[in-house]
Amino acid sequence: MRTVIFATAIRILTPLFLLFSLYILFRGHNNPGGGFIGGLIGSIAFIFHTLARGPKDTVDTFLSLTLRIADRMPGQSRPAYLSQMLKANLVGRKKELPDQWRQHSLRLRPLFLIALGLLIAVSSGTFSFFRGEPYMTAWWPDTHLPVLASLGTPLLFDTGIYLLVLGMVLKMVFTMSRD
Amino acid sequence: MLFALLAGFMLSFLAPVLHRLLGKLLVVPMVLFPLALFAYFCTQLPGVLAGNVLLQGYAWAPSLGINLQFRLDGLGLLFALLVSGFGALVMLYTKGYLGESPLLGRFYLYLTLFMTAMLGVVLSDNLFCLFIFWELTSITSFLLIGFDSDKEEARTSAWQALLVTGAGGLALMGGLILLNLATGSYTFSALLNGEKFMATHPLYLPATLLLLLACFTKSAQFPFHFWLPNAMAAPTPVSAYLHSATMVKAGIYLLARLGPVLGGTEVWQMVLLMVGTATTLLGALLALQYTDLKAVLAYTTISALGLMVSLTGIDTPLALKALLVFLLAHALYKGTLFMVVGAIDHSTGTRDAQMLRGLGPHLKLLAAAATLAGLSMAGILPFFGFVGKELLYEATLHSPRLTWWAFGGAFVSGLAFVAVASLLSYGIFWHKASVSTPVKHAPSFSLYLPPLLLGLLGLLLGLSPSSLAAPLLEQAFQVIASTTTELHLALWHGFTTIFVLSLVTVSLGVLLYFLLPRLQQLPITYQRLYQNGPNKLYHLTFKGFLKGAKAFTRRVQGGYLRNYMVTIVLFFCCLLVFVLWRDAPAIDLSQRVHLLQEVRLYELVLWVLVMAALLYLLNTRSRLTSIVVMGLVGYSAALFYILFGAPDVAATQLLIETLTVVIFVLLLHKLPAFTYLSHQYRKYKFVFVSVLFGSLMTYVLLLVQEHAVTSELQQFYGKASYLQAHGRNIVNVILVDFRGFDTLGEITVLAVAALGIFALLRLNPEKGGKR
Repeated sequence: MRTVIFATAIRILTPLFLLFSLYILFRGHNNPGGGFIGGLIGSIAFIFHTLARGPKDTVDTFLSLTLRIADRMPGQSRPAYLSQMLKANLVGRKKELPDQWRQHSLRLRPLFLIALGLLIAVSSGTFSFFRGEPYMTAWWPDTHLPVLASLGTPLLFDTGIYLLVLGMVLKMVFTMSRD
Repeated sequence: MLFALLAGFMLSFLAPVLHRLLGKLLVVPMVLFPLALFAYFCTQLPGVLAGNVLLQGYAWAPSLGINLQFRLDGLGLLFALLVSGFGALVMLYTKGYLGESPLLGRFYLYLTLFMTAMLGVVLSDNLFCLFIFWELTSITSFLLIGFDSDKEEARTSAWQALLVTGAGGLALMGGLILLNLATGSYTFSALLNGEKFMATHPLYLPATLLLLLACFTKSAQFPFHFWLPNAMAAPTPVSAYLHSATMVKAGIYLLARLGPVLGGTEVWQMVLLMVGTATTLLGALLALQYTDLKAVLAYTTISALGLMVSLTGIDTPLALKALLVFLLAHALYKGTLFMVVGAIDHSTGTRDAQMLRGLGPHLKLLAAAATLAGLSMAGILPFFGFVGKELLYEATLHSPRLTWWAFGGAFVSGLAFVAVASLLSYGIFWHKASVSTPVKHAPSFSLYLPPLLLGLLGLLLGLSPSSLAAPLLEQAFQVIASTTTELHLALWHGFTTIFVLSLVTVSLGVLLYFLLPRLQQLPITYQRLYQNGPNKLYHLTFKGFLKGAKAFTRRVQGGYLRNYMVTIVLFFCCLLVFVLWRDAPAIDLSQRVHLLQEVRLYELVLWVLVMAALLYLLNTRSRLTSIVVMGLVGYSAALFYILFGAPDVAATQLLIETLTVVIFVLLLHKLPAFTYLSHQYRKYKFVFVSVLFGSLMTYVLLLVQEHAVTSELQQFYGKASYLQAHGRNIVNVILVDFRGFDTLGEITVLAVAALGIFALLRLNPEKGGKR
């Protein structure tokens, strides 16, 4: 499957797929779609990327974040230090690292996604406690946003399903494609 | 109260994180939280003392009667104060005992979780709410006993405690449901205010027996007592907190709570008296034979729990009064003694009574605490234990049933308590010895302060029983006795028969103490009895169960996927054939033939496509081809869904097909080459099964069309979907809102399945297990 055309096209298509999956997730309440379908589409985006470039590349590109960290200089004030950190991490990341800088790698593991999804889904139902209603009574605050339409706890629940499905498929595929 | 419990759960799960952040200072929030709870409950004191009952309720699943309802009355407040106050001291003590352990955060997690669950038990008004917290205490007890998970003893004991109390939990569930069926009420408040549950009711006996079973397992009554001594494998703070002062008293609490509802009958009184006193005698006799101080304390605890159960069984106002006083006194001195033993163990490295000599001069404060608690346990005059013992004798002597049996139990255990108390205070600390046990390091402040405080409290309550303890005990008494008799506590009753009996107990008990070394040197007399007792039975059952499960699994789970499939499908077919044969609904096919005229061209095309694909699938020998063809069939099914107007289902089907194909392709190269191993006739068997299944399903679908079910559900969802749930996509609204709870269950299963798949895929037996 590692053809040049596929590998090149996937670079552009994966973010589009992801965006589309989010769109499907949010439109689910009024039109065909929803968390489950959205999660599947999102995972297919990653799977195609994995097929084209291998699991390691997918993890490095989408599911990990390398932070650049340096110790605070003596005499450097806290805000100055923070702005320096932000600048180093946001601007000019392609540049070589100076000597005294370290790299700190954060990885988003699929199992974490599963757990996070379940946590979000379970806790979306607890909002109703604060308003004295039974568990999982939906709550729709009066907001109207573009694309998202209106926000409510069922949407949060759906997001939980999205993350869980995504994590589940990713876990399976990453485990299987590793030799 | 709900927020107090929620805060407890949150804090407990934060404990490991806090341990990382705060390091040794972790103890500060962990002690402050129970203290804050204690203060909160103290602020409720004036209201409760005035006779008010505080009720709070939050709806959970109101249609099932399951709600988070809490009730704070005299009894609940007594236990809540005990749990939270004791909790603060134990948290502090833990720092001294386990302060160096890298797993301290996890220990605090379990301990705080337990404390919260225990508070939930004593505050619950709703029956099912009580059940949930009750089970949570069993689970946290399991985690705490098994805390030293690298020791086999700890693991076995933890299992044992979980299985025994878990079985009791099942009985509790059954009992509560029966109680609810018979009386129609879901809360204790309703039970107490409603009519009495009559003994003549057909459900009375099963409900009562089940509830008693639950209480007996939790409170370690004979023949379920064996888990408690084994549970001493837990770290000492756990033994002091769970297995002497609070959790094992949950059974007593429930008995006292249910007394006004279920009590007063012959069954209730006889069962409780027989079992309680048998436990008392057993505990007292076994306590004298052990030299491990924790085992000695465990058996005296069993004995004391037996006494409390028989007091519930005597069921007179006097006995219930004695129950409350003895319960408080016991919690105070037994918790102290456990902490003292733990501290001795910590600083000398042993807790064998024969090795410990003359510690008094080295560990002065600890010795003071042990002496205070020992005097209270022995029932010496100015201590609270004395008040308890006087009442105990009086109540058993005036028992309406089995008077001598009950009194005998109380008397024998009294002797054993005096002997054990002398051993723990005098024998270890003050007995003159030529060589005293070397003390490796002095116990830290947090190891001796909590027992000392508790011991002093025992003295203080004893000195002025009428002003300090009486008001709260009186409110608790009125809850469990459902009378308005006043409760008077006094230290000195005059020179009565009871006092003489007390004197006799103390003197005989001291005599028994001097005989103790001889008793302990004898081989354990009832060892043979004990070896073949309930503990043995438990282990036999446990092993038999494992063996049976293995044999069963070997038989049923052959490991061939095709056999599983055939079994499932054939069983389903049998059920279908049975139902069709029984109801024998016929289809008039001739009326439907004309429907075939309405088949549209593109439907026909799809049908031909699917048929051709299936025929091809049956004859191909390449895996890749079969996967692709299966994908084709799946996509065609999705197209059918679109044609019949179910876009959500179609989208899901399309995506799932894509994923299936991709995952198969990923796995394909790991499989061995495709070869025919099975005989030709086996193939025909499979063909037969699939044809049978397919035709049956078709028949059923046609039937369904014929006798369409009229339902208002569709209209209801159609209307309510937008108006109530703000969504136009009915399918999704049902999934995330109307039936959200089902979805929650499904995704939980999905998450668990993901863990299982992960474990299976990582397992590589050929490479020697885990990769």
